[in-house]
Amino acid sequence: MVRFKNRYVLCEVLSDDPRCRQCIEDRAVGLAVRDAIGRVHGDYGLACCSISFTVKYLNAYTGTVLLRCRKDSYRLLCSALPFVRYLESRAQRYPCALNTLHVGGTIRTCQKFLIQYNRRQLLMLLQNCTNEEERQCIRKSLLSCSLTEEQSQSGDEEDDDGTETD
Amino acid sequence: MAARAEPPPAAFERRVLRSAARHHYLRVRLELPDGGARPNAAQFKQLVVSALRELHGEVGAALPVDVLTYEEKTLSAILRVISSGLVKLWSALTLLGFYQNRRCAFRVLQTSPFLLALSGNSRELVLD
Repeated sequence: MVRFKNRYVLCEVLSDDPRCRQCIEDRAVGLAVRDAIGRVHGDYGLACCSISFTVKYLNAYTGTVLLRCRKDSYRLLCSALPFVRYLESRAQRYPCALNTLHVGGTIRTCQKFLIQYNRRQLLMLLQNCTNEEERQCIRKSLLSCSLTEEQSQSGDEEDDDGTETD
Repeated sequence: MAARAEPPPAAFERRVLRSAARHHYLRVRLELPDGGARPNAAQFKQLVVSALRELHGEVGAALPVDVLTYEEKTLSAILRVISSGLVKLWSALTLLGFYQNRRCAFRVLQTSPFLLALSGNSRELVLD
């Protein structure tokens, strides 16, 4: 009846530097976002957004990040995301940008959106391919995406095929 | 007999605004119990903006706040702020604790959406 409602913000990490991928970890991203909120919204905004703030899901290959926060303060969080300029981990700092893809009320809706988004991204990649072997590579990994019951699952629908998506 | 067209009924319009004033005015006094050099007008404004920046970040520091009058002797001033930012400004002034490593406190004496209302203060009224 009366429960704490959360908002899940799905974003992707964009960076010119390919070494930024090794920096994408939950602690680094969480600290960067918290620091940006502290700068933009001050002590009050930082405390508001930190109540139920975590990095729920992270995919370093695709740069997908799922953040959770309270419903009352998701606007503070979303407005502070453009102010994240770099990720820092292990004394390495790489410039990056966070692009908001979707804001949902549950993890399930964000997952559904991510599946559709990745499907569209794969199609766009296929169109923008310049040489034939990249095309073959993408086609092969699209066809090999399947859930197998017997061994370990060889690739969920929502994960990308591991090729660098630039 | 053709019925004559009646004139259209007079339009009656009533507008109710919850808080129509665009700005709110505050009369504040800065207390420096430990004495020392008093801030001038520019330093006073810098103090207010830095209080907003601490509590509400860059967004708070960008709030349009004006110091309409400032008296250095009594350290009292009249501030004007946009109505949507009154809560942020008041809370930032309340939680400001230090000015140049000296203790300080802001006392809000009067507040009103109309500047004229700040001219009289019934608390200082002396009945003879």
